[in-house]
Amino acid sequence: MRWLATLLLGSLLVLDFFLPRIPIARRGTERTVRAHVPALADQVGRKLPDFAFEDLDGRPAHTVDLRGHPLLLVFERSVDW
Amino acid sequence: MKAGAFRAVAGLTGGLFVAGGLALFVAFFAYQRPGSEPPLPMGPLGHYFAAFAGCALVGWGGALLAGARNLATGRGIAPLTALALAGLALYRMVGWFMGDYHALMGDLLRVEAAVFLVLALAFVWLRPAPERRVS
Repeated sequence: MRWLATLLLGSLLVLDFFLPRIPIARRGTERTVRAHVPALADQVGRKLPDFAFEDLDGRPAHTVDLRGHPLLLVFERSVDW
Repeated sequence: MKAGAFRAVAGLTGGLFVAGGLALFVAFFAYQRPGSEPPLPMGPLGHYFAAFAGCALVGWGGALLAGARNLATGRGIAPLTALALAGLALYRMVGWFMGDYHALMGDLLRVEAAVFLVLALAFVWLRPAPERRVS
């Protein structure tokens, strides 16, 4: 029992140590956010680039369709980002 | 030697838990003052649960202090303490994995998880042996 507990606790300790080296564990870290925010800074004031996306109901949409009227874009993190 | 090490680990952990628990308990009342600015933006619900966690920590820490004084008590407390410490480490690791908590606390979460896991291993290996009764 003691060795089983040691094995489990030791495995968690190793996982904790190597967590930053696991590619999937790097998502959403502060480092990632900091790397992206300065890159977006020069986008302020520019024309909205053309891109396609799905609306909340899953219907295909395009930024071209949004031209000609006031528009509020909200970017939000989804659960599976 | 082993008993002394267990007393030291249980006593130190218990003392820190009691102190931390009292701090969390006091934080709830400090938050109720008009215009208070808590160091952590937990909000009313967060402070409510912090006070609950504080009371539980005082109880847990008190049990560990009792275990440091009496090894038979310590033997009973050690396994669940190790399990709870592993739980503390596990949710910190998941917290690090999620960006929200990492943005607030950075790698401190992983460091805390490592400390709790090492403590859990100490409770597993330093657990006092059962008392021998001479009949």
